[in-house]
Amino acid sequence: MSPAEEGRSGAGANGAGAVRAGADGAGRTGVSGRAALNVSNLSVAYGNVVAVHDATFTVAEGDACAITGPNGNGKSSILMGVTGMVRRRGAVEIFGTPAPNGDVRWAARNGLTLVPERRQLYPELTAIDNILLGCYCWTRSIGKARKSAPFGRAIDLFPELKPHLKQLAGTLSGGQQQMVAIARGLASDPKILAVDEPCLGLAEAVARRVYDVLASIHEQGTTLIIVEEAPKRALTLCNRRVEVRNGVAGAA
Amino acid sequence: MKFGNLVIAGLVTGSIYAVFAVCVAVWYRVSNILNLAVGDFAMVGALGVDNLYRVKGLPLPVAIITTLAVVAVFAYAYDRVVLRIAQDGPRRMEGIVVTFFFTFALSFFIDGVAKMLFGTDVHAAPALWNGESLTWASLHFERAGLLVLACAIIIGGAFWVYIRYTLGGKALEACGENAVGARIAGIDTRRYRWLIFMGTAVIAAIFGIVESPITGYTYLSGATISLTGFLAAAYGGFRKPGRALVAGLFIGILEALLGGYVNAEYGDTILYALLAAAVLAWPRGLGFESAVSG
Amino acid sequence: MSLARKRSVAPTGLVLVAGVLIVLVYGEQYTGSVFVLSACYAVVTAGMAVQIGFSQQIAFSQSVFMGVGAYGVALLNTHFNMPVLVATPIMMVAAAIAALVLGSVVTRASGLALAVATLMLPLIAVGYVSNTNALGGPVGAPLTGQLWPSSSTSASLIGGGLITVAFLAIAVFVASRILTSDIGLELFVLGVDERTAAAMGVRTPRRKLELFVLGCVFAAAGGAVYAGTQQFVPETLVDPTAELALLIMLFIGGRRSVIGAVVGALVIQYLQGASNWVSVNILVVEGVLLTVVLLVDPEGLAGIVNTGIARLRSWRAGAAGAAGVSGAPGVTVATSATSATSATSATSATSATSATSAGQSGAADAVLPGAVASAAPDDSDMQPVMAPALARTSSVRERQAPSPDGSAPLLKCEGIGKEYGGLSVLDDINIALPALGLFGLCGPNGAGKTTLLNVIGGSVPPSRGQVLLDGADITRKLPHERFYLGISRTFQAVHLIKGRTVLDNVAVSCLASHQAGIVTRIARSRLDEARDKAAQTLTELGMQHMQSREVSSLTLENQRMVELARALAPRPRLLLLDEPASGLSEQQRYRLADMLRAFGEMTCVLLVEHDLDLVAQVSQRIFVLSGGRLVFDGGPTDFRASPVVNSLLVGL
Repeated sequence: MSPAEEGRSGAGANGAGAVRAGADGAGRTGVSGRAALNVSNLSVAYGNVVAVHDATFTVAEGDACAITGPNGNGKSSILMGVTGMVRRRGAVEIFGTPAPNGDVRWAARNGLTLVPERRQLYPELTAIDNILLGCYCWTRSIGKARKSAPFGRAIDLFPELKPHLKQLAGTLSGGQQQMVAIARGLASDPKILAVDEPCLGLAEAVARRVYDVLASIHEQGTTLIIVEEAPKRALTLCNRRVEVRNGVAGAA
Repeated sequence: MKFGNLVIAGLVTGSIYAVFAVCVAVWYRVSNILNLAVGDFAMVGALGVDNLYRVKGLPLPVAIITTLAVVAVFAYAYDRVVLRIAQDGPRRMEGIVVTFFFTFALSFFIDGVAKMLFGTDVHAAPALWNGESLTWASLHFERAGLLVLACAIIIGGAFWVYIRYTLGGKALEACGENAVGARIAGIDTRRYRWLIFMGTAVIAAIFGIVESPITGYTYLSGATISLTGFLAAAYGGFRKPGRALVAGLFIGILEALLGGYVNAEYGDTILYALLAAAVLAWPRGLGFESAVSG
Repeated sequence: MSLARKRSVAPTGLVLVAGVLIVLVYGEQYTGSVFVLSACYAVVTAGMAVQIGFSQQIAFSQSVFMGVGAYGVALLNTHFNMPVLVATPIMMVAAAIAALVLGSVVTRASGLALAVATLMLPLIAVGYVSNTNALGGPVGAPLTGQLWPSSSTSASLIGGGLITVAFLAIAVFVASRILTSDIGLELFVLGVDERTAAAMGVRTPRRKLELFVLGCVFAAAGGAVYAGTQQFVPETLVDPTAELALLIMLFIGGRRSVIGAVVGALVIQYLQGASNWVSVNILVVEGVLLTVVLLVDPEGLAGIVNTGIARLRSWRAGAAGAAGVSGAPGVTVATSATSATSATSATSATSATSATSAGQSGAADAVLPGAVASAAPDDSDMQPVMAPALARTSSVRERQAPSPDGSAPLLKCEGIGKEYGGLSVLDDINIALPALGLFGLCGPNGAGKTTLLNVIGGSVPPSRGQVLLDGADITRKLPHERFYLGISRTFQAVHLIKGRTVLDNVAVSCLASHQAGIVTRIARSRLDEARDKAAQTLTELGMQHMQSREVSSLTLENQRMVELARALAPRPRLLLLDEPASGLSEQQRYRLADMLRAFGEMTCVLLVEHDLDLVAQVSQRIFVLSGGRLVFDGGPTDFRASPVVNSLLVGL
């Protein structure tokens, strides 16, 4: 169990991302002291390019943790490795249970849902179907899914989507698509919601709205992990921060 | 009423092409592989039932169920063994080689096994609905043809309901739309892949059983059916089952009309020439992605 | 003898010598007849290796044209009493004409569309043939003459066999010459990605047509000798199973290897001839064989042999180095270099020779083969030292004199608009770029940046507006024409030719062969000239030490550098770069920035990038697109300060 001190810095000359858990003065534990996510010695490589080198950090339950750092330094890769989208080395524990390597479906079924970079929606399904499919990991019955609390919560959180629910997801604007993606993530009733670059390509006003939504999700008790390139925005919400930089020991 | 009868005959074969085309399109969306062995599964269904019933003397229902079961198991095994290595292994293969040639080889293999087991003569499964052709308003309906249409409507309808109204069906669609997005939602894309492959094989076999009394099959018949179904699927760029369905019906009717009105012998030849010309004239309009790099 | 000559003469010699021996010794026996039969098929597959294997032009036309050759010879022989040996070249010419006509229609399509369209050909052919009594219908067409007419059976058998071997040797020679020539390199790139090939000056429509005709003529020749030796043309020669059998022969032997194609034909025919069971159940055997071969190595037997040879070499070259390779998905220098797709499996590419000698000497190259594969590749690879002479080196190809500075811009986009089916992707874009300098193009995803680049590069025609280069309207010009005018570009995804060296990959843009026909390469190839020019560019960029490395063994950064070198080698007047920094670390981006600044002093560079820091650092002027419209056009300081930009893009 590693405390929120400096992670070991990776010295890979090929730009491996070093991870430092920045301790800011706001205190490091969330609502309870329980560790929602525990990452030790995480390494992610694509071919012979090492993207993340020996990342170690912990996210407590109820935290909102921001993973920041410049582009190309490994932020997204950490999230991909943690959630199982890509294979990794090292250990990941979700509420104490070790996560199998490279199995994002397991993560979805065990409380960690990813809202991926560039959303990855189903363009020719309607928005509501996209969100409904978030329920797939805990039920196969379409009736139960429709009536369930997580689905209802997901829909209610985005009143501006209501008139567009029957529209094909591919025809929605960038901001609307991001909301659908987050709603889909919520529909899976996650304990931890991991969001990768929520504001990529969005206008400022829309980005603020997205963060408002994330804030209310956080208030309702969900642990958040947000990969964000612009630290200012993330820190309005997050009480913890993991800074990923290429071996440079910058201030958190 | 020659025209009417031709259209009906065309609808019958067209509905088979349509169903096969939909199978090819749906599976391609999920797996990115073109199933060129679709017609061969149909042939196995027909010849297998014929063999078990006529030669080995099993009661008809047993023969049908056994054949379908064998087809299902074989399809499952093929996906789990061959396609798994090709697609899920450490050296994932991409490109037109995988898309085409694995199922090409499978088609050969199935034809060869059929030749070994069933010989080279023309056979057919026994007609499931015996009797004279029905007549209505001077149009002739072959009973077997009606059965084919009924099967197409039932199976097609069931599939449509599944896709539209169940979560599993939507998950299947999701697999075809965005495999990454599907995994995130906890959908097991690989499982859907072999499920659809198995389903395709079994459905094809059923149609073979039902349609073979009309024309009779040899061990090589599968190849032509595969090709036509495959072509019909091409008209949706292999990704749109709806278009594939319409294309299948259209090709069936066109084939019948050409054979009836133009030239019985060269009718098929002209059909294929027309189809090829259409692909060349409007590749984008028909939904082909350009340049596939292998 | 140059290496290229060696590589085409060697396999030809092998085929010739082995073939003649076999015919002389076994000519009158069953083994001999099987050999002759497979030689007929091998003529066809040799052509397929060039067309399908290398250039990825999957067209199912060979069995049909084999039928054209066979049936044509049969008809000429039985109806006009023409000797087979005279009818053969006549049919080859006829086939060429037919292929030219058919091909000009068919090769308009690419990839899957091409495959599907030509899939119909065997069906059409068999439908026609089996119903046409003049061709013997479903029974087939007999011949009265033989390939080598003689009253003595043994003389005709052996004579016919020798002639067939001669045809095969010629086929192998022609195919090998083409593949080892500079046009061969063009074909490689064509097979990797048609767009990239066009952007590097390859005249893709012409090459595709040439390949189609080539494949068809080879097939017709094979059909003709088939008819002459078997004295009978069965209807099954043109049906779909025949086409698939040909494909199986090609893939089993090795689709990228001419010798492999020959071996594949031999394997299949001998299998059929060896045992009656196999012959009867040939479908099963072929199906299983093809599946197994594809699973083991998509490059077929040739691939298996190459990998084996390469493993042997790297094992001898340095066990220590090779041992470090095991975990890496890329392959070590020696291994990959020898598995380089070459015309023969016996000899290896230039790359292999120099690479292995470097590996074996060990000392010359500071970076050992093994080190390439380690998890953190050595950055001493990359020394971005730009010789000042680079800017003033004489140009590789003739180009128009640059416009006088100041007044007239080099590139002008006027009112460019682009719609895709009702969706507007670009709207009224107006941009002017001078002859020198570095310019950035930014915008959120889907704003149209790549589309604009494609419009300038020529792969996408605009719906409205004009593109002017030096005042001349180039809006309707194709990508390869723009290449000759001095526009060069890179793409977002790396599209290098795997299995070839850095040098060859850069040489792609230095080729002088674009205007030449494919047939001329049988005589002379100017590949070495192109390689020299490429070497020059690599030296100027400080990359000469990696010129013999096989590209898939390089780090992403270095692969990007190779692509940049390739785009820069022809000394373009306008360089279009599509997200060159994507996937690079911060330190690598610093190096890239240095490079880019140097490029900007030599030519005009338009850079599409997401990394706003990088763009602001290196660009003199920045354009920002949003929703297809130009919303910002100014210098880097204004860029950072602009509220429009800040609201649009997530903050710097």
